[in-house]
Amino acid sequence: MPEHATALLRPPRHRVDPRARRWWTLQALLTLSGPMLLLALTMAVLSLLFFPGALPWLGPLLLVVLVVPAVSYLVVMPRWRYAVHAWELGERAVYAAGGWFWQKRRIAPLSRVQTVDTVRGPLQRRYGLATVTVTTASTAGDIKIAGLSDADAEELSRRIGEAAQDVPGDAA
Amino acid sequence: MSAPLDPETPGIQAGEAPGTQVGADHASQGAGAPAGGAAEWRRLDPRTLLVHCGWLAAPLGSLALTALATGGRIPAKAWFTLAALAASFAVVTTIGLIRWARTEFRIAPGSRGDGSEGGAAGSGRGSAALTFDVRSGLLTRRLRSVPLHRIRTVDLTASPLHRLLGVTVLRAGTAGSGDGSKELSLEALAVPEAERLRAELLAYADAEAATNDPVVARINWRWLRYAPLTFWVIGGVFVVAGSAYRVLDGIGIEPWKLGFVQQAFTELGAGALWLTVPAVLLAVLALGSVGAVVLYVENWWNYCLEWTDARTLRVRRGLFTTRAVTLERARLRGVLLREPLLLRAGGGAMVRAVAGGLGNREENRKRSGLLPPAPRTEALRVAGGTLRAPFPGSGAPVALAPHPRVALRRRRVRGLLFAVLPGTAVLAGLGAAFTPVLLHCAWIYAVLTTALVWWLARDAYRNLGHGVDGPYLVARSGTFSRDTLALQREAIAAWTFTTSPFTRRAGLVALTAAVAAGEDGYRIPDLAATEAAGFAAAAAPGILEEFLVHPGEPGQHLPEQRSS
Repeated sequence: MPEHATALLRPPRHRVDPRARRWWTLQALLTLSGPMLLLALTMAVLSLLFFPGALPWLGPLLLVVLVVPAVSYLVVMPRWRYAVHAWELGERAVYAAGGWFWQKRRIAPLSRVQTVDTVRGPLQRRYGLATVTVTTASTAGDIKIAGLSDADAEELSRRIGEAAQDVPGDAA
Repeated sequence: MSAPLDPETPGIQAGEAPGTQVGADHASQGAGAPAGGAAEWRRLDPRTLLVHCGWLAAPLGSLALTALATGGRIPAKAWFTLAALAASFAVVTTIGLIRWARTEFRIAPGSRGDGSEGGAAGSGRGSAALTFDVRSGLLTRRLRSVPLHRIRTVDLTASPLHRLLGVTVLRAGTAGSGDGSKELSLEALAVPEAERLRAELLAYADAEAATNDPVVARINWRWLRYAPLTFWVIGGVFVVAGSAYRVLDGIGIEPWKLGFVQQAFTELGAGALWLTVPAVLLAVLALGSVGAVVLYVENWWNYCLEWTDARTLRVRRGLFTTRAVTLERARLRGVLLREPLLLRAGGGAMVRAVAGGLGNREENRKRSGLLPPAPRTEALRVAGGTLRAPFPGSGAPVALAPHPRVALRRRRVRGLLFAVLPGTAVLAGLGAAFTPVLLHCAWIYAVLTTALVWWLARDAYRNLGHGVDGPYLVARSGTFSRDTLALQREAIAAWTFTTSPFTRRAGLVALTAAVAAGEDGYRIPDLAATEAAGFAAAAAPGILEEFLVHPGEPGQHLPEQRSS
């Protein structure tokens, strides 16, 4: 097909809910940044109490190894993710983009869709968000759209379900 | 060859001279050669005679060493050895000469009953069929004749000595000739001559029949030579040592407390390290080879790959644990040709099925093996027999599109970052802190690994390729294991484009084809970002067309214009 020779894949049309940024920030705080900052704080306090002489070299070390990475992850990751994450339901396929440093764009035809799962974790519920997972027969073909608003997720899963019924296919 | 030592030398040279004009004069002097028209009897290469003298190298070498050690004076005992050598040389050369002079082959139209067995085999096939005839023997003349459309494999094998002399052994096998006794072998032909003959033999081989044989492959114990070229040459050591330890442990012996084991260790430490370390390495390699061969035999004993009916492919194998895997044709989505670095250097390959329903990832790895390490031509044939269509690249090489040149740079940088830099830094750091010897180690390490990385990166880059061949998507990548994948295009269930900041900057993207079979996802690394989407759309139409933009055309959505 020569007309595809210079074709580019455009990003999906719809962004995820803006509240997803706060969800990702909270997630980062709980899983990575929080513990790192806590560790840095504990070590700094302990050093201050018992080995004040160590502070001149320990302080910068903690700053470089723990504090700066933790804070930059906390600040950068959610924004970056929000810029990347997107989804679109086309006429014949579902299309989703995800990730931040390593980015992934996946397209699965509706004829191959097997199930549509909507998951709301405890943190997501707080912000009224949901994750929609569209599974196919291949684990490398599963599409996950994280950070949708509840309403969008419901609408999307309903529409994918309908579309998958309309598009003929054996899902294998 | 230190041939001048021997009186027989002129004989060889006389035999070698006509080698260049092997054609007409020899063909007519073969005893009772039928007037074959175009089908003249052809001779083996005269250099074969030199190959037969290969065994001389060891005794002559040791003699030369003795002479060198004694300062040129050869002791009386050595003269006897020399005489014995000369006598056996004469015998071997005579036998070789007779064999060479009496072995002839040709490709002839049908067989006209000029040989006892050949006539019977050939007459039933109709006169139009070409046959490959080989006759040999001094007193008992033997003519073997195989119809060309029956020939399935033509295998060229050359030992290092053969390679030195530029000759190779040709073996032609039919569908059921796994055990080797039914094979026709010619030892030896000049390499170009052998290549030509192989092309001639396979040109008439019925490709249709080859892909429709119910029996795709059987074990051929000559493939055992590929066993030490697998990972098991190292892993085999652990397997052997582990099972020995377990047996000893089972009968209540702790090997580390045995006297002779401890003694061996202390002696090893006390000995000259430059001698003991290579010796131990050699022993490990030898032990590993034995382990690899044992595992090969255990795994692939009685191996047979066959279509039990039109829709079922079955693999049977195993000595103690027998395994039988049945693959349904509808779930067979493709074939993977694996060539690990060592095996590839030895001209071998393995074949795996890309099939659904073989269990989880690990079970799939165990069950999907279709062919053990075997010659590459055999692997290509088996892959074709599994697909029931020629494997892409087995006939006319399919032109795989190369990847952008920046992929080569990425491979080099990766090698430098992960192999050269850490080792050099550690060695240099230790060297700066403790001893300057390590500093020298550091730069030597850096130079050697850089050269190695450069070479591996080039190989990895050259192996990259992708394309579409009929109903198959073909992708090749890898250097430690060069994997060539032929995947049914209609089996592709989804596409994934993966990028990192580095690949985005280089304008590359990794494309993953999802299938409900085999490893689930098959990755094509480092495609040009501008071509990847077009390739994906062409390879599996109907998935992503609606999300494509064509930059040249007006009225398209630019990436920035998206509603939220």
